[in-house]
Amino acid sequence: MSQYDALFEPLNINKLTIRNRIVSTAHAEVYATDGGMTTDRYVKYYEEKAKGGCGLCICGGSSVVSIDSPQSWWSSVNLSTDRIIPHFQNLADAVHKHGGKIMIQITHMGRRSRWDGENWPNLMSPSGIREPVHRATCKTIEVEEIWRVIGDFVQAARRAKEGGLDGVELSAVHQHMIDQFWSPRVNKRTDEWGGTFEGRMKFGMEVLKAVREEVGPDFVVGMRITGDEFHPDGLNHEDMKQIAQYYDATGMVDYFGVVGSGCDTHNTLANVIPNMSYPPEPFLHLAAGIKEVVNVPVIHAQNIKDPNQAKRILEAGYVDFVGMTRAHIADPHFIAKIKMDQVDQIRQCVGANYCIDRQYQGLDVLCVQNTATSREYMGLPHIIEKTTGPIRNVVVVGGGPGGLEAARVAAERGHKVTLIEKAPELGGQISLAAKAPQRDQIAGISRWLIMEVERLGVEVRLDTAADADLIQSLNPEVCVLCTGGRPFLEQNPEWGAEEGLVVSTWDILNGSVEPGKNVLIYDTICEFSGMSAADYLASKGSLVELVTDDIKPGVGIGGTTFPTYYRSLYEKEVIMTSDMLLEKVYREDDKLVAVLENEYTGQQEERVVDQVVVENGTRPNEELYYALKANSVNKGQIDNEALFDIKPQPQLLADKLDGMLLWRLGDCVSQRNIHAAMYDALRLCKDL
Amino acid sequence: MIFDWLIPSLIATLLVLAAIGALRRVNFWRAGQAEKVDMWAGLLAMPKRYLHDLHHVVERDKYMSRTHVATGGGFVLAMVLVILVHLFDIQSRILAWMLLAALGMMFCGALFVFKRRLNPPSRLSKGPWMRLPKSLLTFAITFFVLTLPAAGILPESLSLSNIGLTLVSLVLALLVLLSLGEMLFGMTWGGPMKHAFAGALHLAFHRRPERFGGGRSTGLKPANLGGESHGVAKPEDFKWNQLLGFDACVQCGRCEAMCPAFAAGQPLNPKKLIQDMVVGLAGGTDEKYAGSPYPNVPVGKASGSPQEIITEGLVSADTLWSCTTCRACVEECPMMIEHVDAIVDMRRFLTLEKGDTPNKGAEVLENIIATDNPNGYAPGSRTHWAADQNLAVMKDVKKAEVLFWVSDGAFDMRSQRILRAFVKLLKAANVNVAILGDEERDSGDVARRLGDDATFQSLAKRNLATLAQYKFSTLVTTDPHAFHCLKNEYADFDQAGALKDVEVLHHTTFLNRLIEQGMLQVDRFKGGKVTYHDPCYLGRYNGEYDSPRALLSSLGIEVAEMERSGYRSRCCGGGGGAPITDIPGERRIADMRMEDVAATGAELVAVGCQQCTAMLEGVVEPRPQVRDIAEIMAEHLVEQLVEHTVEGAA
Repeated sequence: MSQYDALFEPLNINKLTIRNRIVSTAHAEVYATDGGMTTDRYVKYYEEKAKGGCGLCICGGSSVVSIDSPQSWWSSVNLSTDRIIPHFQNLADAVHKHGGKIMIQITHMGRRSRWDGENWPNLMSPSGIREPVHRATCKTIEVEEIWRVIGDFVQAARRAKEGGLDGVELSAVHQHMIDQFWSPRVNKRTDEWGGTFEGRMKFGMEVLKAVREEVGPDFVVGMRITGDEFHPDGLNHEDMKQIAQYYDATGMVDYFGVVGSGCDTHNTLANVIPNMSYPPEPFLHLAAGIKEVVNVPVIHAQNIKDPNQAKRILEAGYVDFVGMTRAHIADPHFIAKIKMDQVDQIRQCVGANYCIDRQYQGLDVLCVQNTATSREYMGLPHIIEKTTGPIRNVVVVGGGPGGLEAARVAAERGHKVTLIEKAPELGGQISLAAKAPQRDQIAGISRWLIMEVERLGVEVRLDTAADADLIQSLNPEVCVLCTGGRPFLEQNPEWGAEEGLVVSTWDILNGSVEPGKNVLIYDTICEFSGMSAADYLASKGSLVELVTDDIKPGVGIGGTTFPTYYRSLYEKEVIMTSDMLLEKVYREDDKLVAVLENEYTGQQEERVVDQVVVENGTRPNEELYYALKANSVNKGQIDNEALFDIKPQPQLLADKLDGMLLWRLGDCVSQRNIHAAMYDALRLCKDL
Repeated sequence: MIFDWLIPSLIATLLVLAAIGALRRVNFWRAGQAEKVDMWAGLLAMPKRYLHDLHHVVERDKYMSRTHVATGGGFVLAMVLVILVHLFDIQSRILAWMLLAALGMMFCGALFVFKRRLNPPSRLSKGPWMRLPKSLLTFAITFFVLTLPAAGILPESLSLSNIGLTLVSLVLALLVLLSLGEMLFGMTWGGPMKHAFAGALHLAFHRRPERFGGGRSTGLKPANLGGESHGVAKPEDFKWNQLLGFDACVQCGRCEAMCPAFAAGQPLNPKKLIQDMVVGLAGGTDEKYAGSPYPNVPVGKASGSPQEIITEGLVSADTLWSCTTCRACVEECPMMIEHVDAIVDMRRFLTLEKGDTPNKGAEVLENIIATDNPNGYAPGSRTHWAADQNLAVMKDVKKAEVLFWVSDGAFDMRSQRILRAFVKLLKAANVNVAILGDEERDSGDVARRLGDDATFQSLAKRNLATLAQYKFSTLVTTDPHAFHCLKNEYADFDQAGALKDVEVLHHTTFLNRLIEQGMLQVDRFKGGKVTYHDPCYLGRYNGEYDSPRALLSSLGIEVAEMERSGYRSRCCGGGGGAPITDIPGERRIADMRMEDVAATGAELVAVGCQQCTAMLEGVVEPRPQVRDIAEIMAEHLVEQLVEHTVEGAA
């Protein structure tokens, strides 16, 4: 045994033995694309977690029980049809085969959805009050509909049981229908389904009773609840304790999952899946409060990412199970690595929230740093096996995330890898991004990659600018260029970049330019860099105006991340201005004048400032590529058909390479993101 | 010849002196504790034991085996004939010729003994042993010359002057005195030839007669609990035939050459230990010892007597605690001496009487007593590893074809991987299997090897009581230590017959049967070179060398054998509680073993023991990977897949 014994003590939920204390809690995967069926991709995604040792997977966040609770927006699982049953059997087998357990969250989302698609339903909620996050208007649910939805829950639970799943979790969190009835903020009814405490509890109670009656006493039925809605007119922690106790007293609930915060506003939504700006386990106290009053196990997720943290929480007895959902998205072999005594090799979630921010846009959940996650079905490996073919001399240029990943994967394959980096340290743009307030944890991505390339014996040459001569002298069989880009300030000559009138966000974040007193940031990209530069400058005492020609600053940042930037920027009185183009910058005495033009009216305004920072994306560093391209066997070309199919590049299939194979990836091709660079690195290098 | 009386008198005198010496020696042995031995059967069986069993061991060194057959065989035959021809003066040319032939044979053998002593390997003791080949040659030549007249080759009276004849006779008599003195007087008064006398009787009265005739006897003898004292404190506390066994030592040093602790520079040399026992049983000091010392312990300071506490002057406790109980010395000993028995006997005294188990020893024993496992884990967590394995538990099912004895690997994360791999294989082969779950207790191996036989016996009895409640025909375990206890050492306490009709198997044996029966299918192994490390408690203790290799071969692996493999496998350093008592040396045994592995060029070393796995994986990287055979098998298992048809699926 080990220091992690607390994690590995099995515990029963009802009669179901969970092999350890680590749970992948319910989240919307956006993989049930075939009308809500658990596809091959879905099954393999969960199988990987079970293979990696996860104790319990609760799949299908927001899986719907009724046809008038749309699933297609988030491709959530559809339990409103018997068609799901054999799919569940495949899912259950895949997880059980590896000793894991799997349950599914079932729900009717009520008003928390969109009506403008799929079956174009009227959304329903207890009192017809609009939901702001989804801009969802809805009708007041009628009693007949209430009983019909209760019946839908029953059928859904039956399907889960017939499909061989180990249990169902009733979602009474995230402002779904059950907690819409619970919350006085939304439930204004005066009939038996509202008003009093018992009235507000009635819908959930009827669902629970009916489901329990259908599935019998031994099948697991859990409930996910909030620990505090954090709304003055909503449910507070004491209310939630009362509710938990009330349901627990029935003896029909087998466990409670507790989430801190409500989420029907953008600001509270960000709490639910705390990003890197939050401290560790920020809402554990709420879950612990619920555990005080119930007699069944309590599960709690939210920013628990580290085995030592999980151990500490379990040993202290705050909760019975620790949810490590994003931790498993980042590394589904989390448990296996603890058991293999490879804790240092765990790829730890950094809270970039790329996963959940994609989900809220209806895109499939992907990990910013682990590009194999949910691509298991395509053959992308989490554990990279050594090649049985020739050992190759691989040179990677550029130590950003793409280059580090290429070096790591090639080294895992057993090749001789040299990684060349111009800067004195590895990390590339991640190192810059980590300089901003509340963004330091993003460096965890490169930290892990650096530890891995070190472990794998990659020869790293720092402070080395690669040119064609150097590359040729190393005589690589495969050369991967990941040389990144540089700030693109020259697009509009009127900005005066050449005369030094504007600086880049890189200059600000890496400290090469001192923060001005009065600063205008012009951000055409509207993602992290502009917001981070604004936050950085403001935190150094600058007066900052963040201007964009787009519809709002930070518009490209997902739903769980822009709120934490906004909190910080508004607090520091950063002025955010939309719809303005930066036309020109000129010097007047010791000041700079920035000329802004409203996109829609053409009206111009001027700002007199000390410093103008422009965030206009990057241009690729492609000089080395063009210097090497002609002499490479593939003329630098990547076969997209093979790449997209996760097949080896055709040149690798030959017995011998007739010269140097040259690939480039990441921002040195065109500006994309960390995931894009790392995905290309993995899919190119996994077959080396 | 003049002085016709001289040679017979010399022979007679030396025979008498030898007989007196023999009686004195026998008295030394008789100081030991009573042990029932079937004397007559032993004596009758002795020639066969010598010619077959002992020769089988000696045969491993072909040079020495042939040399000894010629020398020893020639001497025994010659000695009988010398008595007939020269003492009893039986006038027979045939006898004389036979004597010449025997002496000729002995002479040839002795030449090779002589040759070996010209540049002897370090394992051989020097001192009087350097004299022996000369004595042998002298004996052969002298009696050859003396016998020539009797054979009719030389006339009875030579045409020499009386003075010349007298001179020749005196010289011959002197040579007879010297050589026969070595052979007869030395034999019983502590010379090198003692080995022949004590060795012959040791073979006859051996404490483990089962070892002869191809048998195996490796289980420790139970300590007699509840007496006035426990274990061996003084030489006289050994059984009399153990003392006899010590005297049989020829100081050939084969044990020393094989001992992992000696090689690691820990203060143990099995040969020196046995010689110290000889010092102890006869009284005296180790001054005359002329072999390799205990590493870093000077010779000449040790002294003892039958009545003195061994660890207070004769042998340091560290020497006893350095032993890994790997049995390499016992396996290698041509005189079939039982070093490990002796060491554990002495450890029993240190642990049971003195409470003096070094380093973590006391803590481990306390843990075992309190929690039934050496590391003191909560007994209720014994089955945590299997929470996801859906294994039947005997308490529920009461019977199963196979009982899987999980062993204390259940508590260890690394060992759990072996357990899971084995369960995966059992399931794939649809074996009807159950475990004891939390009812299982530590087998007692560690307690027993650390000398705490009381705790061992208590565990054995309680485990047997549990086992007696259930029905199963086969017991299988992945832990060779538990395997050894259950198979060989529990029988002494199994009055109820819990294991009477049960076949106790190591998992490699069991898996090999499954493979042979076609119950398991495995893919070909695709990795690089593989070697196999024989765990001591599987190999030397239980003779299972083939099944692990057959399993590897079923994966298409051609084992790159280490120089020390099979019965000569080098210990990983993990047995006998050695990692717990942790006596410092110059190197770690596991490091040396990993060097053996690396020397084969293997990238992977297959093992069949969780303890070996732990020890070998404890070697710093880079080094070859370490996997239990069950893990390798499980990785290459061909599994049957079931898919549920889904609507719309092709």
